[in-house]
Amino acid sequence: MKIIETNNLTKVYNSTVVPVRALNEVSLAFSEGEFTAIVGPSGSGKTTLLNIVGGLDKPTSGEVIIDGVDITGMKESKLIDFRLHNIGFVFQSYNLLPVLTARENVSFIMLLQKEKREVMEQRAEELLRQVGLEDKMDVRPSKLSGGQQQRVAVARALASRPRFILADEPTANLDTESAFNLLDIMQQLNREEGITLIFSTHDQRVIDRARRIVTLVDGAVAKDDLNRPVA
Amino acid sequence: MKTITIISWRNVWRNKKRSLAMIMAIAVGLWGAVMTLGITNGMMAERQRTTIEQHISHIQIHNPEFLKDDNIRNHIEKPEALFTTLDAAPEVKAYSARTMVSGMLATTTLTTGVQLIGVDAAMEDQTTDIESNIIEGRYLDVEGRNLLLIGQTLADKIKAQVRSRVVLTFQDEHNEIISAAFRVCGIYRTSNTTFDERKVYLRQSDLLAQLGADYMVSEVAVVLDAMEETERLSASLRASFPELEVRSWSEVSPELGYMNEMFGVMMFIILLIILLAVAFGLVNTMLMAVYERIQEMGMLMAVGMNRRKVFGMILLETSFLTLLGAAGGLLLGGITLQLIGESGINLVLVGGDSMQYMGFSSVIYPTLEPSFFVTLTLMVAATALCSALIPALRVMKLKPAEAVRAE
Repeated sequence: MKIIETNNLTKVYNSTVVPVRALNEVSLAFSEGEFTAIVGPSGSGKTTLLNIVGGLDKPTSGEVIIDGVDITGMKESKLIDFRLHNIGFVFQSYNLLPVLTARENVSFIMLLQKEKREVMEQRAEELLRQVGLEDKMDVRPSKLSGGQQQRVAVARALASRPRFILADEPTANLDTESAFNLLDIMQQLNREEGITLIFSTHDQRVIDRARRIVTLVDGAVAKDDLNRPVA
Repeated sequence: MKTITIISWRNVWRNKKRSLAMIMAIAVGLWGAVMTLGITNGMMAERQRTTIEQHISHIQIHNPEFLKDDNIRNHIEKPEALFTTLDAAPEVKAYSARTMVSGMLATTTLTTGVQLIGVDAAMEDQTTDIESNIIEGRYLDVEGRNLLLIGQTLADKIKAQVRSRVVLTFQDEHNEIISAAFRVCGIYRTSNTTFDERKVYLRQSDLLAQLGADYMVSEVAVVLDAMEETERLSASLRASFPELEVRSWSEVSPELGYMNEMFGVMMFIILLIILLAVAFGLVNTMLMAVYERIQEMGMLMAVGMNRRKVFGMILLETSFLTLLGAAGGLLLGGITLQLIGESGINLVLVGGDSMQYMGFSSVIYPTLEPSFFVTLTLMVAATALCSALIPALRVMKLKPAEAVRAE
């Protein structure tokens, strides 16, 4: 079942000065449970595509439809709420709140969703256990390694029960062991729970795990490799 | 809301040194404001108190003609009814019925203009604190005739001391010139040197004897238990005695009220300047905090925190910083006022004795009404909110897509 569709997505920056065409009529569809890696050289439009699919940016033209809802023309306040309930984000720099513990960082999303306290606490613990951090729940990010912080970020992204997770270069700042640990967790979530993952990445380790690879070159889809055998 | 509050509170302490520096700056600024205002308010309050207690009292009553021409013939006709009313008024602490004439005081070397105030020693002592201001000699309640109580400024001017003989010259109600010899029995000193130079006290009976007159009252000075009763009693006396001129202290000495107002305005301006400095410091600190956390703000908006909540977080952080500093400054200021308010600040060492020429005491007792602290807290809160606007609006303009990738 298709949960994300992009139709002729185009994004042009600095249209009145020196226009930069970051995306050029990109049309893609993502199905539930897919693990997709969006690859391409620097400047190919990977991050721009993720930002627009995630509702963080607006296209110059084209549309993004998520679960039948066109988010392209949505007002910002509605878009923020849509993101909160439908999309999980994992960033390259983890972006955890340093003043909150791991548990509080995960609970925070459910707090924004006005979830009940008992449900919040139970789910936060459950997610942190799932990512292998049951003994680090009450530790602040400054006391966690890069890999551990990224795992907290994954738990946070899952906390809102999103339709899909967008991850922009999630392994870029991780050492090999941490990167493999993270990928194992994400692959397990994808296989066992059917979480839809869309990664933007240069990392071959990620590419090897993805079942679908979309290659962007100069803002356009150069190749769309579906149903690959994975590692 | 609770979590946003917790996040904001913890964010304040992310950079402890910077936050503590800001808090201390606010505390010191507000302590300075409290002390400046307390000292000025104390000066004005003391001037008001001494002017009323030593010189003008809360209410003065005259024959209306006396205010145009202070001749003895412009006395209060049949003052007994007025005395009965004042005796029955519960808010009246005391009153003094005075006989007053302008005249000249002469020694062998100097002649100077004075105002002679003939008093009943006991009544005057209950109405003013003239007796407690005597620095040499005795009050008018001693044995002897034709005794004078003069101010230190006058004594220095005419080179007189206790037991010095002087000649007083004045006019009676028929404009006949009267001269009589008097002896100085005491020298007083108030906080107003101009008063001390002009006003000479003598026994009412001695003055009336020289005037060859029966009982004549030029002025009735009334002192109340509470200053707040002044206007109400004044209005009541005016209604009961329309033929008399009844004036409250603010009418007798309007410059006292004007000066209070003027200082009030000045202090408000000083306070605004201090709060402006506080605001600049806050804006600077919070802008730094926001710029350091652009990526974090971007993430918050990306994951679903609306801009209103992010705005609220900045407001809360600014408020926490401000209120901590304000609490420290106000507490320190209150304690300092309490300590110094009792002992006073003696400005004589720094040339403060010249303040007496302007009617100010050289010893200041800083004081502030408790309601002032409430007002100042509200002003500080408003400063915090205004200061938070600039950094908070900066955050509102963030684009999440750019912010999450900011360095």
